[in-house]
Amino acid sequence: MGVCVVSQIPAVEGKSVQQTVEMITKKLEILGAVKQGTFCVDCETYHAAPIVNNSGQQGKLMYVMHNTEYPASCFALFENGPCLVADTNFDTLMIKLKGFFQNAKSNKIESRGQRYQFSDFLVKVGTVTMGPSARGISVEVEYCPSIVSNDCWNLMMEFMQSFMGSHTPGIPSVFTAKHDGIYTPTDTVIQYMELFNKIRKQQQAPVSGMR
Amino acid sequence: MEAPPVTVLPVTGGTINMMEYILQGSVLDQSLESLLHRLRGLCDNMEPETFVDHELVFLLKAQQGSPFILRARRSVDKPTMPWHLRYLGQPEIGDKNRSALVRNCVDVATSDTLNEFLIEMGFRMDHEFVVKGHIFRKGMMKIVVSKVFRILLQGNTDNIEPLSLSYLVELNVVAPPGQDAVSDDMKNFAEQLKPLVHLEKIDPKRLHQA
Amino acid sequence: MLRGRPKALNRRVGARAWGRGGVGVREGREVGGRPKARSKRRVLIPALKEAREEARRRDRGMEFQTVGSERLKARPPMIGRVGQETWSRPEPTERRERAAMVKFQPSLWPWDTVRNNLRSTLTEMCVLYDVLNVLKEKKYMTLDPVSQEPPPSKQVLQLCGKKKSLAGAAQILLKGADRLSKSVAENQEHKRQRDFNSELLRLRQHWKLRKVGDKLLGDLSYRSAGSLFPHHGTFEVIKNTDIDPDKKIPDDYCPLDVVIPSDLEGSAYIKVSIQKQAPDIGDLGTVNLLRRPTQKPKPGTAHWQTKLEAAQSVLLCKEIFAQLSREAVQIKSQIPHIVVKNQIISQPFPGLQLSISLCHFVNDKKSQKVSVENQRPDDHLYVLEHNLHQLMREFHKQTLSSSMMPHPATAPFGLKRMRVVGPQAYDKGEISALQHNEGLLEKIIKQAKHIFLRRRTAWTIDSLASRIEDPQIQAHWSNINDVYESSVKVLITSQGYEQICKSIQLQLIIGVEQIKVVHRDGRVITLSHQEQELQDFLLSQMSQHQVHAVQQLAKVMGWHLLSFSSHVGLGPVESIGNASAITVASPNGEYSISVRNGPESGCKVVVQFPRSQCKDLPKSDVMQDSKWNHLRGPFKEVLWSKMEGRNFVYKMELLMAALAPCP
Repeated sequence: MGVCVVSQIPAVEGKSVQQTVEMITKKLEILGAVKQGTFCVDCETYHAAPIVNNSGQQGKLMYVMHNTEYPASCFALFENGPCLVADTNFDTLMIKLKGFFQNAKSNKIESRGQRYQFSDFLVKVGTVTMGPSARGISVEVEYCPSIVSNDCWNLMMEFMQSFMGSHTPGIPSVFTAKHDGIYTPTDTVIQYMELFNKIRKQQQAPVSGMR
Repeated sequence: MEAPPVTVLPVTGGTINMMEYILQGSVLDQSLESLLHRLRGLCDNMEPETFVDHELVFLLKAQQGSPFILRARRSVDKPTMPWHLRYLGQPEIGDKNRSALVRNCVDVATSDTLNEFLIEMGFRMDHEFVVKGHIFRKGMMKIVVSKVFRILLQGNTDNIEPLSLSYLVELNVVAPPGQDAVSDDMKNFAEQLKPLVHLEKIDPKRLHQA
Repeated sequence: MLRGRPKALNRRVGARAWGRGGVGVREGREVGGRPKARSKRRVLIPALKEAREEARRRDRGMEFQTVGSERLKARPPMIGRVGQETWSRPEPTERRERAAMVKFQPSLWPWDTVRNNLRSTLTEMCVLYDVLNVLKEKKYMTLDPVSQEPPPSKQVLQLCGKKKSLAGAAQILLKGADRLSKSVAENQEHKRQRDFNSELLRLRQHWKLRKVGDKLLGDLSYRSAGSLFPHHGTFEVIKNTDIDPDKKIPDDYCPLDVVIPSDLEGSAYIKVSIQKQAPDIGDLGTVNLLRRPTQKPKPGTAHWQTKLEAAQSVLLCKEIFAQLSREAVQIKSQIPHIVVKNQIISQPFPGLQLSISLCHFVNDKKSQKVSVENQRPDDHLYVLEHNLHQLMREFHKQTLSSSMMPHPATAPFGLKRMRVVGPQAYDKGEISALQHNEGLLEKIIKQAKHIFLRRRTAWTIDSLASRIEDPQIQAHWSNINDVYESSVKVLITSQGYEQICKSIQLQLIIGVEQIKVVHRDGRVITLSHQEQELQDFLLSQMSQHQVHAVQQLAKVMGWHLLSFSSHVGLGPVESIGNASAITVASPNGEYSISVRNGPESGCKVVVQFPRSQCKDLPKSDVMQDSKWNHLRGPFKEVLWSKMEGRNFVYKMELLMAALAPCP
């Protein structure tokens, strides 16, 4: 486990999401990255059912996420709130809580794609899908040997520039929010959640050329 | 390549619908030693272990109907172990053929942010207590001999007093549903603990009525 | 005594008469006044009793007289004893009299009995009077003292008595003896029973027992120690008490016996050996093994103990083998491991095979097998066999300690580390690292490789040392090794010059796959497992040693070093390593010696003489001046093999001594 940066790459003008993904992966392969299977990050959204006697919680959304990089874990989190890391039995618990927390099936969003290794870096390029349609491209770059996020940032930025060019993201908010600077798997999941929320909002405003 | 439809996705999630078979009883403090001695003889020869746990019971109230109860437990003497979040369903007494009480249960191991997270979900902490005791194991069966302590100052597990002059004895097995055979094993085991302790099906509903 | 006959009858009648009277009274009362009857009866009964007593007393008083008179009548000659007898036995007569009275003299009037008694008294008095008169006259009757004749044949009687009492005593003794012998037999039976119980107690101290139905079953498996081997490993405890008491009890008789499963009988061991196709390493693993003699039970340990221990060791061997074969099938290696029957074959190095086999002897077949076994030499690797057992135990311990109790107590059972995986978000790599565990087979193959490499290294060094006398090789093996690493210090010296020629010291660290050589100056060279590499390396080091030795010697002898090169670029090319060369000049500079030594070409020593000493030197036109005579002349080779001296350095010393001027 190392330090991750999750970012979004817009589809190239005139190309579909899928074609753009292929372009990026090709670039990576030319760089010398080795394909190492696939990955998937998924996210389900829950909201409190109206019967819950708690007016304050109404507006909040709860996200339950899984990441194939952490196959035994289940992440549950609120936006800007606490994050719970649990084992996969948490999903069973959510079924029990069905009467109190309801999830919008159509709101399920996930990112799937290939996992590449380039010496100390892991790169995961994924297609973000919501329902049946592809909505965007996610790129996760992980620098494995370190867990101190700020120490790695410059190195990672340099590496990302080599294949993302102008789409290289700025420093993620999770890097700066932490006072001790120790990166945890939760931070990766939070970045994905933020990314998914961003893509959801984009979807609401019609975007051309995405598809 | 189109993304696969959502329905094809593998169902993530742990063990489906486990059931807890349980028998309960109690012993007075003075007969604790002899019971432990007997258990040491009967159970698998692992080192007998003691434990100190802190349990918080959370409620999620609905506008009508019964609230949803979750139990969060952490180990006080082994703080590196994960928190344990537990959902227990309504116990079924069942017919006379089944020798143990059965209830649905979900066991989740979680990070230590559990407390905060449950409150964020809308749960309210109802009560908390400390449990100290001994755990034994016999195959699938878990035998817990424990004493419940009242917490005098909220959140302070050092400032406690015992609730009674007796120890709670619980014999339980967590198994997939339909394995009623385990309850027979439990009954046989309970027989061997007589007359030190009588383990029975105790219906919590009856306790509430009384 | 006339009336004596019907006495029993009379007595009964009399008694009944009394009884009936009593009952009659009682009944009458009860019928008469019911309500009062109960309270009155209590008073009545004692009253009645009193009346009865009184009557009886009355009777007795009268009887005494009657009896007395009767006796007198009946036994006139025994008059002297009369009183005594009467007083001592009054009872029977009394009753008789009473009965007689009742029968023959029904009470006509109240004084009837008194009259009768008086009359009979009178009669007797009259008789007494008559007798006294007759005696007085001494005409018909005299009173003579009766001679007190001694008790006839008292001795015989005594004898008889003694005999009888002796016989009685004897009988008692015999009876006692009989009973004793019976109880001894019984005791023995009991003792056997007790022995069984005490043996059972002893058995219980060492083995796990439980009662199933009417059988006693024990557990000899290692399950409680953490074994996961599915063999149930149960034995049955049986009573061996029904032994024929007449037969001689064998010395090793034990009232308790155990029945072990048939597949655990006999003895078993795991045999590990390394074979090489080419027999060039002859002594490898050919340690002769004497077959384990059948274990004689140690004095003081019970028969069942040895039996159970043997069965347990068979079980452990089986478990080890089962584990190894499972791993052999599962592990993917470049050269697949072969599992055939009771043998696992693996190839740790090319051309080398490691075989692990399970040898199980069942007692009855042993005799035949031993003979076959003895024909070929055993090549056990004891260390590995022992390590296998140790590894298995470690494995047991691991399984025991990894399944710890859950904390908090409500949490489900399971491995501690797996429980942490979810909440601490372990990634793929960490989880697979957790799950991966080096198996028994992998470990033992690694150990075998190391052992093989170590032995071959030792063999290489030894064979070089024996083949090459000059210079000498010394190997100092360290006694303390790891299972995967050991080290040896190699010194190359010349005999007699150990103190001055210490140039080459090598530390060889022998690992699993390769040998690391640490030079004295800190250089590290890694050699593969190929033995040729080590041999070549040592040969080149030896050749270098000679040159180093010359350098050291020159220092001691006061010669000057002119040049030194450990890797000469000139001359014939060596097949292994490089030749090294040195040139030294004598203290006064007149002579110089040059040595070239190669691992293959051997040594070549040449001496340069001063020009003045060379007579056959052609006169040069250029060097006319005599000062040129101080220039060095040509080199001449020394016929080294012809030189005197036992080794190279000695020869060199002689040479240097010869060329240096005497002080």
